[in-house]
Amino acid sequence: MDSKVKISSLKVSYGEKEALKGVSFDVLPNEILGIIGPAQSGKTTLLKVINRTIDNISIARLSGTVQVDGQDVYRVKDVHALRRKIGMVAPLPVGLPMSIYENVAFAPRTSGLNKKSQLDEIVERCLTQAALWDEVKDRLNTLGTKLSGGQQQRLTIARALSHDPEVLCLDEFSIAIDPVTTMRIEDVLKELKSKMTIILVTNLVQQARRLANRTAFILNGELVEIDDTEKLFSDDAADSRTKDYVRGIFG
Amino acid sequence: MHPFQETEFSKAKQRRETLVKYGFLAMTVAIIIPLVLIIGYMIHEASPVLNTDFLLKAPQRGMKAGGIWPALLGTIYLVLMSLIIAAPVGVMAAIYLNEYAGDNWLTRTVNLAVINLAGVPSIVHALFGLGAFVLFAGIGKSILAASLTLAVMTLPVIITSTKESLAAVPMSFREACWNVGATRWQTIRRVVIPNSVSGMLTGFILEVSRAAGETAPIMFTGAVFYKAVKEGDIFAYNLTDQCMALSMHLFTISTQVPGVPEAIPFATAIVLLGTVVAINALSIGFRVYLRSRKKW
Repeated sequence: MDSKVKISSLKVSYGEKEALKGVSFDVLPNEILGIIGPAQSGKTTLLKVINRTIDNISIARLSGTVQVDGQDVYRVKDVHALRRKIGMVAPLPVGLPMSIYENVAFAPRTSGLNKKSQLDEIVERCLTQAALWDEVKDRLNTLGTKLSGGQQQRLTIARALSHDPEVLCLDEFSIAIDPVTTMRIEDVLKELKSKMTIILVTNLVQQARRLANRTAFILNGELVEIDDTEKLFSDDAADSRTKDYVRGIFG
Repeated sequence: MHPFQETEFSKAKQRRETLVKYGFLAMTVAIIIPLVLIIGYMIHEASPVLNTDFLLKAPQRGMKAGGIWPALLGTIYLVLMSLIIAAPVGVMAAIYLNEYAGDNWLTRTVNLAVINLAGVPSIVHALFGLGAFVLFAGIGKSILAASLTLAVMTLPVIITSTKESLAAVPMSFREACWNVGATRWQTIRRVVIPNSVSGMLTGFILEVSRAAGETAPIMFTGAVFYKAVKEGDIFAYNLTDQCMALSMHLFTISTQVPGVPEAIPFATAIVLLGTVVAINALSIGFRVYLRSRKKW
């Protein structure tokens, strides 16, 4: 099977500090790939390279390649089109300072879609997919920033879905929200898997265990191992550091 | 001991708290008192001549009587022209510096230049305006040349306050926009600017106040001692005309013309103050409206 995202000997450094020290692995179509690892191990940096928002960090230096659908992300002509292909959900919920409706309609509008009926359809579909529609359908004109943290995180997910991404990247999406919302979003992800590829960066190893088909363990900017989630979480894990980490012995 | 019992330490802490609070309050009041005194004193001194005739008539009998219409109108022209020139340039430069420019030696140099430009004395701007606009560019002494000089002088004010208001928009908003494939300009137009307008208006208010009050920059570049203007005519000046201005007029009647009744300079000062407040009222009102619907 062709890989959806292919990362080859990727190195990233910020000035003196090396965030990723040569990481290679593939993400397969329609899988949920869990990425676990302690803080500062380079997980967020990895996501930023995939949608090239790392370009905005002027001190970052890269080598190696990242391919999406077989195309090097640094050779795509339109970086904005690349970013629309990749949905990105940041750790902290971000409701943009505009109405709930406009939060979701923002991305379609920036790509030139302004037809009311189409936007209505997208807003309803994405909010439904993000399990938020029922709570906000009667107040779509209120500010997205006034929603609760958990609702804003689902709004962020709805916004990430609004540009029909083929890859959805979630960066520790549950650190700022309650367990009930977390479980609801996890259910959403299980459904979305049939439509897209999901990369789930998480601090909660059990979350990766619940959701991911395969899991990668990254430590200090290096890939320790990547394998089927079941295997990685069992005694068959290849590396003893993985075993220690998933059992909570360090990290 | 009861857990909420007052100790010597907690009592002393309370006393200090009260002392500090009222100390700060006293200083705040101390700022207001001179302002009230100045305005009250000026209004009192000006009251014998301050009426609509004073506003709308030209000076008479060698400035010893009559009104200040030509100067009032001149100041309005100068202030609005300088704002029209400085606002777009300043706002666009600030957007570039804050949103596009990376942190490199060029940006740092520009930022340093902006700060230094703000510190240049106005008389130096006046000489620059005379050299650059009046003589070199050949505009001649005129409202246009004077407005350009005022605009150059007030640019740092607009750039600095606009930059601050842009920087106050959280970075996470921009990142969220970039993540969904918005370009920088789309992000700036849809998210950054709508949420920093109020700070930009603060810059415009400061610009107006400074431009209206300065005498030196317009003295060499377009302001004159006396110019005949019809009573209440609001289209009396062309951009290429020289004009009277309130700040200059105040300077003239206070120091250059003997025997001017005391009330006239005070009334002129009140009109100058009133003009600044009136021009600013628009942006102040708009700013209050924007603050009331702050979005996060």
